[in-house]
Amino acid sequence: MRAPYGGTFAGMGVLITVIVLVLLGLVAVWAFNRLVSLRNRTDEAYAQIDVQLKRRYDLIPNLVETVKGYAAHERGTLEAVTSARNAAAGASGVAATAEANNVLSGALGRLFAVAEAYPDLKANATFLNLMEQLTTTENQLGFARQFYNDSVRALNTAIETFPLMLLAGMAKATRREYFQVDDAAVREAPTVQF
Amino acid sequence: MFRDVQTSNRWRSMLLLGVGFLLLVGVGEAVGYYLGLGPFGLVLAVVIAVASTANAYWNSDKIALRITGAHQVDASTHSQLLNVVQEMCLASGLPQPKVAVIEDPAPNAFATGRDPQHATVAVTTGLLERMNREQLQGVLAHELSHVANRDTLVATLAVTIAGTLAIMCDMVWRVSMFGGSTSRRRSNDSGGGQLQLILLAVSVLAIVIAPLAAQLIRAAVSRRREQLADATAVSYTRNPAGLRSALEVLATDSTVVRHTSRATSHLWIESPLDRGASVWNRMFDTHPPLSERIDALREMERTAATP
Repeated sequence: MRAPYGGTFAGMGVLITVIVLVLLGLVAVWAFNRLVSLRNRTDEAYAQIDVQLKRRYDLIPNLVETVKGYAAHERGTLEAVTSARNAAAGASGVAATAEANNVLSGALGRLFAVAEAYPDLKANATFLNLMEQLTTTENQLGFARQFYNDSVRALNTAIETFPLMLLAGMAKATRREYFQVDDAAVREAPTVQF
Repeated sequence: MFRDVQTSNRWRSMLLLGVGFLLLVGVGEAVGYYLGLGPFGLVLAVVIAVASTANAYWNSDKIALRITGAHQVDASTHSQLLNVVQEMCLASGLPQPKVAVIEDPAPNAFATGRDPQHATVAVTTGLLERMNREQLQGVLAHELSHVANRDTLVATLAVTIAGTLAIMCDMVWRVSMFGGSTSRRRSNDSGGGQLQLILLAVSVLAIVIAPLAAQLIRAAVSRRREQLADATAVSYTRNPAGLRSALEVLATDSTVVRHTSRATSHLWIESPLDRGASVWNRMFDTHPPLSERIDALREMERTAATP
C-alpha cells in the first residue's frame, strides 16, 4: 500500500509543517477577531453609558421643578442637585465624567430621602412618573456602567495575556479606563428600588 | 462566587448531554445489531426526531405565546415592566426581547426563543401583582439568563436525544411484534453463539431502559440549567437578595398556572407541574426544589464580598 504523502520522512515533515502552519493561522485569526470584538463591545458599552447619562441630565430639571412645587423650603437640597447636574453635563473624559456623576448620584440620593417626608408629593402622579423614570435611569446607568467595566476588564485582560497580546497592536486594541465609583456605598448598591 | 456556580452548572449540564449522546450512539448500535439494519436505524430515528422538534425550536417564541395565551405589551400600559426588562438587557448586553403578559392569577414567568434576536419573555398578571420592583428585576434577570445561555437550544437537544431513543426502541418493538427479520445477522461467524446471546440480552436491556434513562437525563439537564440561570441572574443584578425573595414569594404561593403542559414545563421559573415528593418523582422534575435554589442564592449573598 502506498502512503498518500509520498512515503518518505521528508514528505511527512512537510505535511506536519503545513498542518502546524494552518493551525497557527487559525489561532491568529481567532485571536484577532476576538480582540476586535472585545474592543467593539467596550465602545458600544461606553456609548450606552452616554445614552443613560443624557437621559439623567434631561430628567432632572423636570424633577426639581415638581419637587419645588411641594417642598419649596428644601432649597439647599434642590440647588445641590441642579448644580451637580450642570457640572456633570459639562464634564469630559471618562474619569471626570465618572467623578461628576458620583457627586450627582449623592445629591439625588439626598433628594429622594427628602421626598419621603412629603406625602402630598409622593401622591402626585407627575412626581411618581418622574420617579419611575429616574429610578429606571439610575438603574440603567448602573447596569450600563457594570457592563462597560466588565467589557473593559475582559479587554484589558485579553491584551495582557498570551497569545492575544501579540495581535493587540494590529487589532488596534488598547487598554481602557474603568468607569470608577469611589463611593463604597454607591458601588455596593448601584441600583435604586422604590 | 456566582461565577463558580455558573461554571459548575454549565459543565455538569454539558456532561449530561454528552452522556445522553453516548447513550444514543450505544443504543443505536444495539438497535442496529438487533434489527440487522446497521447504522440506518439510528439515522432514520434521528431524522424523524429532528423533523418533529425542528419547527418547535425554530418558532419557539411564537408557539409559546400561542400556547400560553400571552399577549405582547408595550410601555404605554406596562412601563415599569418594560423598564425593568430594559435594565436587564443593559446588564446582560442582550437585545430587547418581545415582552408579553399572561392573564393568570398564579405568579410565574418564562422565556424562550431560538436565539437572543428572536426571544420572548412573558410574565403572569399574578406575578406583577405580587412582586415588588427588586423581585421583578430578579425574575426577569433569571428569564433573560435562559435566553443568554441558549437554554431553548439545550432543552431541544435533550428532547431530540430522548425522542430519537424513543423512536428507535419503538422500531424494535414493532419489528419484534410483527415477527421481523431480526436474524438477518452475520450468523456466519459460528463460534461464540453464547456471546451473541449475551449481546442480544444486553441490547434488549439497553433498548428497554434507554428511553427511561433519556428522560432522567433530560430532567437532570433542565435542573442544572435552572441553577445556571439563577447564578447568571445574579451576575446581571449583582443582587442575589432580589431573586431570592422572589423565589420565597413563589414558595408560599400555591396557585398553579392554567395553560401549561409537560412539554413546556421547563420554560417556567417555577415548575407548574405538581409532582409527588418521592425520590423517584423528584428525579423527573425539570426544576430543583425552591428551597434548594433559595439556599444557593443565600450562599451567594453571604459571599457577595468576593463575586
